[in-house]
Amino acid sequence: MSHHIPDVVSWCLVAVLVAVAVLLVRQRGITAAVRRRVAALEDGLQTRDTEVRHLVTVRLPAVTASMHQPVPLPGLLDERLGGTVFAQGLQSVMDLFTQAVDKAQARADQSAKAALKASMRALQGLAHEQQLAISDMQERHDNPDVLRDLLQIDHANSQFGRRAQAIAVLCGSWPGRQRAASPLTDVVRGATSRIRDYRRVKVHNHADLAVVSRAVEPVVLAVAELLDNAARHSQPNTSVEVGLQPVHNGACVVIDDAGVGMNAQEVQRAAALLSGQRTVDVSRLGDPPQFGFPVIGVLAARYGFSVSVDTRSPYGGVRAVLFLPSALLSQIDLDGPDTTPLAPPARPGAPARTPTGAVRPPQHRAPAREHPEPAPDVFPPPAAPPADAGAVTGSTAGGLPKRRRRQPAAPLPAERPAAPSATVPDGPPAPGPAAAPPERTAEETARRMGAFARGTRSGRAAGTGPAGHPDPAPVDDEGNPYA
Amino acid sequence: MTPPAPRRGQGLVRPYVVTDGRAHPTRNTFDLVTLVIAQYDRPLGGLSPEKRRLMELCLGGALSVAEIAGHLALPVSVTKVLLGDLVDSGHLITRAPIPSAQLPEAQILQEVLDGLRARL
Repeated sequence: MSHHIPDVVSWCLVAVLVAVAVLLVRQRGITAAVRRRVAALEDGLQTRDTEVRHLVTVRLPAVTASMHQPVPLPGLLDERLGGTVFAQGLQSVMDLFTQAVDKAQARADQSAKAALKASMRALQGLAHEQQLAISDMQERHDNPDVLRDLLQIDHANSQFGRRAQAIAVLCGSWPGRQRAASPLTDVVRGATSRIRDYRRVKVHNHADLAVVSRAVEPVVLAVAELLDNAARHSQPNTSVEVGLQPVHNGACVVIDDAGVGMNAQEVQRAAALLSGQRTVDVSRLGDPPQFGFPVIGVLAARYGFSVSVDTRSPYGGVRAVLFLPSALLSQIDLDGPDTTPLAPPARPGAPARTPTGAVRPPQHRAPAREHPEPAPDVFPPPAAPPADAGAVTGSTAGGLPKRRRRQPAAPLPAERPAAPSATVPDGPPAPGPAAAPPERTAEETARRMGAFARGTRSGRAAGTGPAGHPDPAPVDDEGNPYA
Repeated sequence: MTPPAPRRGQGLVRPYVVTDGRAHPTRNTFDLVTLVIAQYDRPLGGLSPEKRRLMELCLGGALSVAEIAGHLALPVSVTKVLLGDLVDSGHLITRAPIPSAQLPEAQILQEVLDGLRARL
């Protein structure tokens, strides 16, 4: 029996050994798995640390920098983190930071604009006041030496006023002055008045077009900025050529300089600014700040004209074209009082009669006299375009709107009833002018006109017929045979 | 004769643009009542808008410098610069309404000078 004991012991030993070996192997596997896991976790931790450092050192500064110029924002450093909770957390940090920066930027911009606008408006008022004082002095002093000094002061003051005006407009103000409708030539020369090298500007092709009242000051300011750019970026001995061209849908002011021109990148940037689509940030205008194109862009978008600078000038520089649509233009009133100055002056109170026989109310000219006043009040435009000449009071039988004169002349009651009978050639059975004319249909009006034409023709034929001038073929001026 | 109110926007075109920066007329022969008469045969092409308006004004007959300045709504001294140019180019002729005063004789001046020298 005793010889069995070693067997048993050895079997037990073997079993124990086997068990230990199995356990060891298993332990080893577990250890390896744990070690791998630890390594993975350490790696993940390190990646997150790196990611957080990347956020602080690269991504958040990039958000701040992108306020000044739009650049693509850098993403995660390690792609493996994409979609994890950690990455979402980082993204929300980014978003919050971006919002905070945006808000702070907007607030800073707004307060800067408000402060600039208020101070520039004050300066603008002072410049206007000073201009009036200078104009008074120019009237009062007859000495050429004094005049020369006054002209220099006037010139400096005009430039000063333009600068203040441009900054105020950029900060959201209106141009600060309401003017009467003015000829396009005067508008361009007014713009010339406000730049330093005004003597180099040559204006050609004087067009017979006027700019409507509300667009005068904005167009003057825009053209002045273009002329200033043109003169500033060209040699002092070259001239800046300005052409005025009536086109089908309006008119163009073409400004050519013989300067250095612009490269493709500058042209692209200018086009973006001139479109006026982008909101302009006053803190991002560069150093020294470049006001010209942003101001023109703001004005063009607000008043409906357009400016392009993407053409090469034949003189080698830039050709800037300012296009004014027809809505901002009107014809020059050639029958105005200025062109007939030698006619006997109208008695005060009596209506001024122009050569065409139209009756003008005396109040027509009164607003123009108030223009040199310093306060930038809104004056009613004296030469209103026909589109808004009066309120619609009704419509004719043909469906056309009837308008009434906007400023009904108070001292005119004796004149008014006579006016319609003088301008409407009534037929022989014309009713008395005092009777209120009943509403006529279009056919009746045509019949009366026809009767009038036939009557005058037969009268002429009767007068000249015996003298050997037979009545020509009964065809009217447009070649239509009479019915 | 009261000048008509300026129809154009006042203050839009400044006087230094009108005179191209000059303040001194090319001739010093104008005063407020000098009469200006237009020459009809001169072409108006190539003149600045103010000069053209001035010529249109004067084509109606003789006008004084003060009247022209009033009609153009320009200062008199600026108007004189324009008038000087137009007289130089032959568009206008002037007629002085007042005969020039008699100058003192040289003999009297000489006597005054001698007297002063004797006293001092």
